[in-house]
Amino acid sequence: MNELKIALQSLKMSVRTRMQYRVDSLVATLAVFIRESANIIVIYLALLKFDNINGWNVNEMLFLFSLLFLTYAFVVSLFADLRDFSRMIREGRFDRLMVRPRGLLFQLILNNADLMASAGHGTLGILLFLISAGKVGICWDFATILYYLGAIIGGVLLQGGMFIFFSSLSFYFLETNSLREIFYWNMRKFAGYPISIYHKLIQGLLIYVVPFAFVNYFPAQYLLRKPDLINYNEIYIYIAPLVGIAVYLSSYLFWRVSVRRYYSTGN
Amino acid sequence: MENIIEIQGVKKYYKIAKREKGTFMALATLFNRKYETKKAVDDISFSIKPGEIVGFIGPNGAGKSTTVKMLSGILYPDAGTIKINGFIPYKQRKQYVKNIGVVFGQKSQLNWDLPLIESFELMKYIYRIPQKQYEENLDLFIQLLDMEDFINQPVRQLSLGQRMRGDIVASLLHSPQIVFLDEPTIGLDVVAKERIREFVRYMNQIRHTTIIFTTHDMQDIEKVCDRLIMIDKGKKVYDGSIQEIKNKYANFKSIELLLEDGSKELKTFDVSVTPMSAVMEQLFSEKKIKDITICESEIEDIIRDIYEGRVVLAQPEAERN
Repeated sequence: MNELKIALQSLKMSVRTRMQYRVDSLVATLAVFIRESANIIVIYLALLKFDNINGWNVNEMLFLFSLLFLTYAFVVSLFADLRDFSRMIREGRFDRLMVRPRGLLFQLILNNADLMASAGHGTLGILLFLISAGKVGICWDFATILYYLGAIIGGVLLQGGMFIFFSSLSFYFLETNSLREIFYWNMRKFAGYPISIYHKLIQGLLIYVVPFAFVNYFPAQYLLRKPDLINYNEIYIYIAPLVGIAVYLSSYLFWRVSVRRYYSTGN
Repeated sequence: MENIIEIQGVKKYYKIAKREKGTFMALATLFNRKYETKKAVDDISFSIKPGEIVGFIGPNGAGKSTTVKMLSGILYPDAGTIKINGFIPYKQRKQYVKNIGVVFGQKSQLNWDLPLIESFELMKYIYRIPQKQYEENLDLFIQLLDMEDFINQPVRQLSLGQRMRGDIVASLLHSPQIVFLDEPTIGLDVVAKERIREFVRYMNQIRHTTIIFTTHDMQDIEKVCDRLIMIDKGKKVYDGSIQEIKNKYANFKSIELLLEDGSKELKTFDVSVTPMSAVMEQLFSEKKIKDITICESEIEDIIRDIYEGRVVLAQPEAERN
């Protein structure tokens, strides 16, 4: 219960902080929303010409995207401190967490929430979901809803796990942003489309190395069963939520090992 | 009485990548790194009893911060043992830090945009402070540190002195038995410093909190601490009472010379070794002197002389137990 109180107090503080800068918060949210929407509009316009991409029509594409945005909305509200972790180390703010009687990751996750990014991605995700979900032929029965929720949680854990992994690298190298730029953000751009359109190498990266495919492509395939699923082992669509848990747990273990380095070097 | 802090032969070495001059050499270090070892803390031992208040001083880069980090469980020592309050700080972090408070004077832990009270509330939950204890402590601290006026202002609008008081309260709300104050008076004016000193004395005398106080301000030490530990280049160079160091160096006098060419010189010497008359004789025969000022050595001067190597301390004091 005490943990919940910490979470609520932290959330209250994040909200109050943002309320100090109302205009800035609104603009930041809008900026995120517009930036991300621009990508969607380009795809939308392209699909008006081509009708479909590897069998995926425009609504199915929007549904695929909505998963990416909805999960990321949770990721930035939970893992904001881990996204900015190398800066935290450099500024020595991590020391402060170490002299408090709580788990380090626990504090990092609860501490700050990037509410503007969360609102921007969240709004877009919900919008895309509302536009597409009714038109892609999904029968929203209990089991489907359960799978969908599991996929969202799995997607959040998967991306959160990746943030934890890149943060752990900060204990070895002072600056890790460019690594993350390559392996996280670029891969995320690929994940907006059905992965079957890519070269085998990129598909492999998206499934086995930076497994974004389990955030949106395979969950969407479970619900949509598009013909390009034939290229992959069907088990992937069933285990998608579990992959998130696995990535999170292994990143957590890597974190546990890496954080010991901090004890020996400081910053 | 049992020691609450026990530190034996503690060492901490850092490996620092050597930087080469020139762009080409700098690029070459990407592939072939050479490391230098810096001895930040080199074999330090001391012990502290419950309720003691100890000043911990040393010039910049002497290893103070590294030592405080090891004491507070942020770093582990490369050699030696640390036992505080029955815990090994870096091994039992979560258990250990429940009973310590740490103030980093240069790094605030307060939320910049919100009133102090919000950060205090968060501490209440993080340390699981019972509501009654929280309220009692908060009321007392606010009164002692005279904080009513700004408790509801966003931290970014506070002066440095006000912010520092806020930071101290945030670190002490859970009534820790041991408190590390790392430069809590840095950059503050005389009044603000005095207020913090009074508060620290109160915590020590009334609550019997064990306190380690690092600072560059000798007034802090003189007015607050009973005991002084001085380190330099990673080694302990003095450990004893303030009075002791004063007595020891009472014979040290400083003379400021104004020479005829307008330049100034400062000399420090020990009158028990060289009597004043002999010093004067020598000085007047060697230099063209326009004016002289003889100063009684203040603790401040003694410390400066030690830092700058004008006074060489004998072997460190025998261990106090």
